[in-house]
Amino acid sequence: MEELVARLEEIAASVSRADYDAKGYHLDVTVAPDDVEKAALVLDEAGYTLEAITGVDWLGEAARKAEAEAKAAYAAAKKAAEEAGEEPPEMEPVDTSGLKDEMEIVYDYTSYSHLFRVMVRCRVDRDNPELPSIHQVFPGADWHEKETHDFFGIVFTGNPDLSPFLLPEDADYHPLRKDFSA
Amino acid sequence: MGKESVPEAIVRFAPLDKLLGLGRANSLWPMTFGLACCAIEMMATGAARFDLARFGAEVFRPSPRQCDVMIVAGTISKKMAPAVQTLYDQMPEPKWVIAMGNCAISGGPFSFKGQYGIVEGADKLFPVDIYIPGCPPRPEALIEGILELEEKITGKRRWPRVEA
Amino acid sequence: MSELALSPNQETFVLNLGPQHPATHGVLRVKLVMDGEYIVSAEPVLGYIHRMHEKMGENRTWAQFMPNTGRLDYLGALSYNHGYVKAVERAAGIEVPERAEYIRVITVELNRIASHLLWFGAFVLDLGGFTPLLYAFDDREMILDLLESVTGARLTFCYFRFGGVYNDIDDDFVTGTREFIKRLRKRLPDYHNLVTKNIIMIKRLKDVGVISAEMCRKYGATGPVARGSGIDYDVRRSEPYSVYPEFDFDIPVYHEGDSMARYMVRMDEIEQSMRIVEQALDRLPDGPVKAEKVPKIIKPAPGDYYSVVEAARGTFGVRLVSDGTNTPYRLKLRSPTFSNLSLFGEAARGMLLADALALMGSLDLVIPEIDR
Repeated sequence: MEELVARLEEIAASVSRADYDAKGYHLDVTVAPDDVEKAALVLDEAGYTLEAITGVDWLGEAARKAEAEAKAAYAAAKKAAEEAGEEPPEMEPVDTSGLKDEMEIVYDYTSYSHLFRVMVRCRVDRDNPELPSIHQVFPGADWHEKETHDFFGIVFTGNPDLSPFLLPEDADYHPLRKDFSA
Repeated sequence: MGKESVPEAIVRFAPLDKLLGLGRANSLWPMTFGLACCAIEMMATGAARFDLARFGAEVFRPSPRQCDVMIVAGTISKKMAPAVQTLYDQMPEPKWVIAMGNCAISGGPFSFKGQYGIVEGADKLFPVDIYIPGCPPRPEALIEGILELEEKITGKRRWPRVEA
Repeated sequence: MSELALSPNQETFVLNLGPQHPATHGVLRVKLVMDGEYIVSAEPVLGYIHRMHEKMGENRTWAQFMPNTGRLDYLGALSYNHGYVKAVERAAGIEVPERAEYIRVITVELNRIASHLLWFGAFVLDLGGFTPLLYAFDDREMILDLLESVTGARLTFCYFRFGGVYNDIDDDFVTGTREFIKRLRKRLPDYHNLVTKNIIMIKRLKDVGVISAEMCRKYGATGPVARGSGIDYDVRRSEPYSVYPEFDFDIPVYHEGDSMARYMVRMDEIEQSMRIVEQALDRLPDGPVKAEKVPKIIKPAPGDYYSVVEAARGTFGVRLVSDGTNTPYRLKLRSPTFSNLSLFGEAARGMLLADALALMGSLDLVIPEIDR
């Protein structure tokens, strides 16, 4: 286990332990999109199995975060000004136009032999969601990637066939994107 | 695929029609065609306890060309719709359709604002004779549906109605 | 594998199996490239009963999604109820009273027996035997009657609630369940005499559709499919939840990896489930069946949560992403048969078509759960 964590730490941007009882997984690993295959190889060598791949569309999250930060900063400034007995400043509108939205891809790994759940996640640009496929490592990933492509339009480069899988053959929409409407 | 219109017979033999109707009503051949949950209740209806054979409708055929009743048991997705339509078209006349369960009636629980995947009711595709509500309907309800269909074909109720 | 089957000079043809075919248990379609009677390649085509469950999760409250869980895998609906409530209870930090946990285990295990019985009937039907289906349905109806008396439904149960169950069980249910178990114990030898020891069955299943343990791992197979290939993995044992650690039961594991092994795993599981139900009935504690302080509107803290249970077909996982509101932000349902079926293409290569149908039947498919 410790060896696995150490090997994952080498390739991952961050590795943190999670509270299993509260969260349902033991290890939370964040990697760069190009490193998902490396992470899969490490877990494959350790005898892990891929349980699922899925996506999360974080549309508007960056803007919400920026606004929340600006609000917090403004509240702090206002408080400081009030304490100093000055006129509180006007809150400036937050410019969120330059912010890029992201999509998250989550890989759930587990082991048959011992209880240790590893969650690998990575984020890609929402306008150009692309990352390498891991079906060479885990052939079972093929279907999960197809499904994720169907739902979110995330392109897994190297996947042999990303034509509609669960959706009708002529579908050109991605229903689980937050801005989708039928 | 265009709609097929079958012209009615010019010369009618009323007593013969009645006799044929009686024969058809008492030996309906449904199609083995399960889409979702309702199909399991359809199987249960044909199995030991409810025994659809008592009403002469137990010969489930896997081929549409040998059937005269299509029991649409389950949700029709947009991907499946052309296949369901083809199956209906392949059945020889005279043919009847039973929409079993809420999904086949109106989309049921899967019909919501902004839905992208299902056809909201079998009657969007072809005419339906009997609607059986339920999610899924009990086997007794399916039997009652078959009896209703018999009544529709012959004009007479063969079995006593169960009073509420 | 016959040499003839994959020789490049042989002419092949494409055979379309489904989406309306009695052996595919619903609306699965398989595109087969055939060389005579041998399969050169098999590619399942999904989506014919995609019902947008994950999309629906995002436009209703946490509690309103409950009925959907009963319609994912309608043969083992209560396991799915359990998987979902367990995930939400974990996210929202809801405690469940002990009696409720016992009732959950009893009903889930009864549901598992019902599911395996139906699979038994349908599987033998695939192989050409009609009579066992009637036997299996006869016993299954008794379970459905018992479950109906407490849940109010025969098939698409929506019985569990966050923090407990909807309805308490009564004495009639307890005595009825005991009688049923007594009856099924007497009937199972009949099943084995009629089917398991039948020479045709053995010839059709033995050494047919062998799946290796390594292949299971690469494709993420779980449940009876993995246990038939020698993998000793059952969520009830490996990742204990509810009150399962308190019961004494075995996890049947067979090492052959063929269709017969998967058949035997399920038949043995029926016996083990009966053991669990008996023990749970013996030790059933008194008390409430629903936690008292469950908020009407549930708002889990922002973050993601994962939770798995052992359904009749394998590991059912629920991944929740909450943004702190009363609706799920994202709800991912990890269904066992999706992964189990994904190995079909590789396993069926080089097989006879009739054997491949035996293999497909032994995977125990429920298509609406695969397509979701």
